[in-house]
Amino acid sequence: MIYYLVIFAAGFAGSFHCIGMCGGFACALGRDQRGGGATVLRHLLYNSGRLTTYCFLGGLAGAIGQVICTTQGLTAAPLLNGSLDIAQRILAIVAGLLMIAMALQFFGLLQVFHRLAIGFGGSTFALSLRGLLTARSSAAPLAFGVFNGFLPCPLVYAFAAQAASTAGALPGFLVMASFGLGTFPAMLMMGGVGRILGPVWRRRGVRLAGGFILLLGLITLGRGLLPSDAHIGLAWLGGHPA
Amino acid sequence: MTAQGDILCSHCSLPVGLRPMERRLNGEACAFCCYGCCIAFQVKSGRHEEWEAAWLLIQLGVGGFLSMNIMMFSLLLYSDAFTGVDAGVLPWIHLLLWIFATPAVVILGGPYLREMWLNGIQGRVTSSALIVLGVAAAYLYSAFAVFEGSTHVYFDTAVMVLMLFTVGRYLEAVGRARAARDLEPLLAAESESATVVDGAVEIRRPVREVSAGMQVRVRPGERIPVDGVVVEGESNTDEAVITGESRQVTKGAGSKVIAGSINIDGPLLIQSSGDGTATRWARICRSVREALGRRSPTQRLADRVVGVSVPLVLALGGLTIVYWAQSMPFDRALLIGLSVLVVACPCAVGLAAPMATSLGIGRLARHGCLVRDPGVLETLARVRLLAFDKTGTLTAGKARLVGVDREEVGIDEVLARAAGLERLSEHGLARAIAAAAAQRDITPLVTRDVRTVPGRGIRGSAEGRPVAAGNGRLMNDLGWPLPPSLVERARSLEASGHSVVYVGWGERVHAVLSLDDSPLPEAQAAIAALRERGLDATLLTGDLAQAAERVAALVGIKDVQAGLSPEAKRLVLDRLRHDHGSVAMVGDGLNDGPVLAAADVGIAVGSATDLARETAALVLPADGLWMLPWIVDVARAVRRTILTNLMWAFGYNLVALTFAAFGLLQPILAAAVMAGSSILVVVNSLRLERLPDPVPALIPEQRSGTKAERTHNGAGISAMAGPAVERS
Repeated sequence: MIYYLVIFAAGFAGSFHCIGMCGGFACALGRDQRGGGATVLRHLLYNSGRLTTYCFLGGLAGAIGQVICTTQGLTAAPLLNGSLDIAQRILAIVAGLLMIAMALQFFGLLQVFHRLAIGFGGSTFALSLRGLLTARSSAAPLAFGVFNGFLPCPLVYAFAAQAASTAGALPGFLVMASFGLGTFPAMLMMGGVGRILGPVWRRRGVRLAGGFILLLGLITLGRGLLPSDAHIGLAWLGGHPA
Repeated sequence: MTAQGDILCSHCSLPVGLRPMERRLNGEACAFCCYGCCIAFQVKSGRHEEWEAAWLLIQLGVGGFLSMNIMMFSLLLYSDAFTGVDAGVLPWIHLLLWIFATPAVVILGGPYLREMWLNGIQGRVTSSALIVLGVAAAYLYSAFAVFEGSTHVYFDTAVMVLMLFTVGRYLEAVGRARAARDLEPLLAAESESATVVDGAVEIRRPVREVSAGMQVRVRPGERIPVDGVVVEGESNTDEAVITGESRQVTKGAGSKVIAGSINIDGPLLIQSSGDGTATRWARICRSVREALGRRSPTQRLADRVVGVSVPLVLALGGLTIVYWAQSMPFDRALLIGLSVLVVACPCAVGLAAPMATSLGIGRLARHGCLVRDPGVLETLARVRLLAFDKTGTLTAGKARLVGVDREEVGIDEVLARAAGLERLSEHGLARAIAAAAAQRDITPLVTRDVRTVPGRGIRGSAEGRPVAAGNGRLMNDLGWPLPPSLVERARSLEASGHSVVYVGWGERVHAVLSLDDSPLPEAQAAIAALRERGLDATLLTGDLAQAAERVAALVGIKDVQAGLSPEAKRLVLDRLRHDHGSVAMVGDGLNDGPVLAAADVGIAVGSATDLARETAALVLPADGLWMLPWIVDVARAVRRTILTNLMWAFGYNLVALTFAAFGLLQPILAAAVMAGSSILVVVNSLRLERLPDPVPALIPEQRSGTKAERTHNGAGISAMAGPAVERS
């Protein structure tokens, strides 16, 4: 359980990063003329759209991880029993390295992924979707949230990698769900929080998120590299619930 | 061809076919060739305040939301998350999936159902029918299974197949729009608007409403909408679309500008010199639109194959279900049948030719080369023999001074006197002589009392002595003796197709100038490059044999047929076609129209005729001969791309169909690879974008190169004729 709490916390810290782009969307979503209740509903729809995409990506990544591991001839061993097969180790190493790379990017040390995101046409995509925000339909925020979830974002990539390393649809789903829920508070309060928190605090939040991701990445990497009876990180986190 | 044959998709500029998707967006009626283009167009350029445009994206988003939830729960089901203690929740999860799936199927499947319906009432079965039938079967079976309390439901399959196809079509449309980017400047001519300046007021008006004399303001970065003259401002323009030369041309007050060129860096005020619809740009636009509306033979074949294959696949799907249902549970057999329907969807086959062709057309159009029939690129790629017309095609069609034979006088003196007379005349030969003198930096001698003698030449007086230039009769009239050596030389020159001009002063003829229609400097390099590509060249001309052979030797053509009337040219063409398969004819489009029309590929270079009356299928800009090898490259690349596309599409369909029929391919996987196949065809076609541009930088070099060669050849002739001859 602690594992998912850590991810929730990482998501919460990471949401200071979200304020940059997605926060802008949340602000643009604004308030509904039909009153406070409608406004809350609007933002809830947007965020649940986003969450759905994250969960889907998590479940998918986990399932793919599972497929990779089971096609190696061994059943997806629950991570607790300590008998990790080669494929799972490789998966853990790749995911760990990816996460560390993302974390470094949050510290401003690696710019590759940022450029990758731009090259991917993320900004054009975002720009063309912006129009959805102004549509009057109540379903529009939901649709927007769904697309938003697919926008290139290092945070999402990092946790999707983490989800894949769990090698199971359910834990993968739970990883992304915890992460997504972690981003909820800041995104929901966006209008207010964005103004209260100055850029200094936001930068600190982003650093904190980077720290979390680095930690998770190192643990994941360790899971791939260290002998299975020396899983300090897992012991500390209380392990995965199977 | 029906009226609809000319309608092009608002997004990808490919023909929409007989049943376009029509929608009103941004207040304009738009037609789309497919659902994917419709979505892509709206994401790209739809103004989302408009309800309908946003509605489509919302549909997609909500559909995505629902299908992702379904997929998530299904993934959990597959990974056995609900076994053991949780097994009791299984029916509830199934019910939840059903609740999610119903709106998802309606939202995502709606467009396909409509497409199937529209085709169905016209008695046609298209690939959307395959999708609709497959998805409906999976959905209905699953709904039934929920009632039955069965352990397996396939809502995820139904929804994900729809989702993947929709996303696939969207991505495909994005790719096609990239293909249309090259054509945009050409197709813009009809929809472009111009900023008309009327006194102090500036109004945006459609180009077609601009008439001669109106003043139009063009800001930097805009396309110049009309032909005209710069009234005010200075800028560089890029005229590549019209002239094929992509270099910047500086324009100032008084310069002429061409419609369709891009104003690069300064605001210009232009006085229109004609109607907005009468520009070459607008004519090119109409011509390209027509070309895109036509279907190439390959395309027609592919369409026919698609039309036949759909009912076949339906039958095959039914048979598969029947076969497998004998040996396994019905739901498994149904899934296998569904895989067959999904994987056999012949979308990629229909996409193979038009995208590559329009990319090729766009590529050529960007350099001013106009394709008037999409099939011509494929034909040109197969051609092994190019027949050239001489005058105006391989040669400049203008006289040039090529030799000066003189007696006891300097060449500069001859030219100074000749140019002194001829610079006052408008005659073609006269201008060539004046130009030659200017090129050698010879100052024309000041000449007075200049009179032209019609049909004979020109005379006047310089330094107090009479001077004359013209033919032998002028000299006879003047009573000036002709030195026999010069007469001899003139005769042999005339026999080889030259024009000769005698120059005399001081009661005597001193020199004979020979003029010729010389080969274009780029002709030799172009023909050498064509030969490198395995193409033979032959010269068909109505001129005298000697003249034709000389030009042929200079440009490197071995096979010459001279003295042909237009009818004879067509006969020769027929014979060549019999020997070589397809033959392309290159002419100037002025007087060889019927011959160009008779060839498999008619290519007109620098045609000045009205495009509507043009008979050539391929029109190059003036001085565009150097691009011919590049055009052959493009045509071959297009043909290669179409063939690989077709091979991939057919091969893929066959292999995947086999796998699916043997029950080795899951329906969702089948949908994913099917969508991937179309995208692969798009990506393969987009590789055409990376073809190298023609290299205009080589041209000045080549020009000086051939010029050197020509003087060298000239020296050879003069050595034969004696020491008194020099060449300019």
